[in-house]
Amino acid sequence: MKNLRLLALGLALAAGPLAGTAAAQQPVELQLWTWYLSPKFDTYIKDTLAAFEKANPGIKVRWFDKQDSLVQDFIASVNLGNAPDVVNLNIDETQKAAQNGFLRAVSDLSSPATLNATYYPQSVRNFTSGGKVYAYPWYGWLNEGVLLYNPDLLKKAGLTRAPRSLSEMLSYAKTIKDKTGAYGWVPALKDPNTASFLGYFYSEGLPIYDAGGKAAFNSPAHAALLGQYVNLYKGGYIPEDAVRREAFQIATELYAQNRVAMIVGGPQALTRIKDTNPTLYGKTVVTEAPLGKAGVQTGGSMSLVIPAASKHPREAAKLAAFLSNNANQLAFAKVVPIVPTTRAAQTAALFKQSGSDPVQRATALVGASGRFINPGYKAPGNSDDLYKNFNDNIEAAVLGKKTPQQALNDAAAYWNANMKK
Amino acid sequence: MRFSWRDTLMSYAFLAPALLLLLAFTFYPLAYGTYLGFTEYTGARFAQGLGPKWIGLENFRTLLADPLFLTSLGNSVKYLLVVPALQLASLAVAVLVSRELPGIALFRAAYYVPVVTSISLAAVMWEWVYNREGTLNWALSALHLLPRGEAFGWLNNEATAFFAVMLVTFWRGFGYYMVLYLAGLQNIPAELEEAARLDGATPWQRFWRVTVPLMKPTILLCTLLSTIAALRVLEEVLVLTGGGPLNSTYTALMYVYAKAFQGFNFDYGLASAAGLVVALVALGLALVNFRLFHEAEGGDA
Repeated sequence: MKNLRLLALGLALAAGPLAGTAAAQQPVELQLWTWYLSPKFDTYIKDTLAAFEKANPGIKVRWFDKQDSLVQDFIASVNLGNAPDVVNLNIDETQKAAQNGFLRAVSDLSSPATLNATYYPQSVRNFTSGGKVYAYPWYGWLNEGVLLYNPDLLKKAGLTRAPRSLSEMLSYAKTIKDKTGAYGWVPALKDPNTASFLGYFYSEGLPIYDAGGKAAFNSPAHAALLGQYVNLYKGGYIPEDAVRREAFQIATELYAQNRVAMIVGGPQALTRIKDTNPTLYGKTVVTEAPLGKAGVQTGGSMSLVIPAASKHPREAAKLAAFLSNNANQLAFAKVVPIVPTTRAAQTAALFKQSGSDPVQRATALVGASGRFINPGYKAPGNSDDLYKNFNDNIEAAVLGKKTPQQALNDAAAYWNANMKK
Repeated sequence: MRFSWRDTLMSYAFLAPALLLLLAFTFYPLAYGTYLGFTEYTGARFAQGLGPKWIGLENFRTLLADPLFLTSLGNSVKYLLVVPALQLASLAVAVLVSRELPGIALFRAAYYVPVVTSISLAAVMWEWVYNREGTLNWALSALHLLPRGEAFGWLNNEATAFFAVMLVTFWRGFGYYMVLYLAGLQNIPAELEEAARLDGATPWQRFWRVTVPLMKPTILLCTLLSTIAALRVLEEVLVLTGGGPLNSTYTALMYVYAKAFQGFNFDYGLASAAGLVVALVALGLALVNFRLFHEAEGGDA
């Protein structure tokens, strides 16, 4: 009996350290959630993750691609205690998550100096909330990345060159419709889940907030700009669906049918036209997008965030930094025309080549301009209610229920009454 | 009649599985949702690991002060207009297709197809119908009812969008209620119809004097189901108009949905409170429904 006990003790002692080393060697398993990347980019993601695991033998990554339900799943997983470690959000969602306390500040995990050296300063600012950075900037896009147009329609309208400014764009829209019957262009009046019209204010150099952070988009200059779009809509120069559906969707649909002459957007518009109308795709001219008075572009980017509920934040930070580093973003740009958010992409050879293929040309034009990625306005606290109210007011102005000035006054008043810190 | 303990126990044992499921998946969520309506439970609380906080009637005060909620509730009540039209039409068609004609099964199946069509697919189709260049405008201008220059998108117009969406609800529900009425019609003895015919009643009289009174229980059931469905209409609106133009199709359930599912800004407390208000309205209308049919029945007797 005594022997047995001794034996047991001996075994326990022996097993103790063994168990300890086993735990140390057991790899940390990270959960990575991306948004709408599978199955199209399976190869790229899997290769990149394999390279990461090879460089970090102690870490295993399990990748899940989420679609529409990503945010809901994220919230549910926090409740269930198995939150993912790295999650792919966009600028608005990152701000919302950070404002509500769902995220760990990545400026606590990676040194701010490294973040600022790796990514464009504006990209880091896009994900800054209350003085802290909440995400590793990932792949981006520019809303005014390129202008693509149907040369036949422009010629028919008697226009010999592409428009060079946003105000010229507005007059082109009139001329084209009057001369050809096709729409000139579909502006993003009120895209769902954003306050897209604020982007036009930003383009013209008009402020969105005042110095104290209050909504200040209701000056006479703002109203005059909105008035130009309202008149365009009333004159039938903008497809009426633009108050109901996302402008980009309408534009790509109608362009392929020769019913819209110009699209301002990223190369992704071209990919769709290539699929639906290859002949027109071949004819399409790609050039620099016209800008507003401020000479700035708007754009957005994806982010990689670390949930506050992640159990392995250090390892998660490593993975997020790896996925979003310059080499991996450039590799992604080779697969699909994205705009990297890393500074070093400015000088990448990839964006110096130009060919005759429209997608290739568009990629080269925008690939190195990640420094312009900026939505043009910071997501306010309680953004869903505020955006809805803003869009309702834009709609009221467009449909003639309110004057542009009244609509903007009402929206600004609502924002200032309902904005949360 | 008295049951032995054994029998009673046995009965409950048989009922238990269903009861447990009901408890877990119906009564518990219902009770919890009701409770949430009186609490503050937002994304910010949730992220800190805090539970709901009791705040009494605060959410209801917020709702009453929100013009968007009042508009949405008004729209939902206005949506009830679809109920009488839907019920009358499906009952009438049920009577027509209840006859044993060759090939009638094909008609019954055809009317049922919209019920099993996915709403996203149906939305694409209706989008073609209602579009400015769509089939509806084309048909109207071909019939010289609408001049070509005045064509408009039916879903983009404040005056028409509401009824356009309602028609889709009608189209989706029609087959379902028709099948329920068909089942009800099987229970009407053929002799009554025959007797009425011998007495020289016209088909119109037979429908109003024989069929409708005898179908009262089915009509009550269908009207109730249809009322609740109309109050809770969501999918059609979401996919067709998103609540616009100018919130003319923004329904109460859309408000609930928006508050509960606006990502990290979610507000379960306010959403539950709004849901409770809709449930109360539905309950009130159900009572009215019962009262109306009950009185009508009493009057007949």
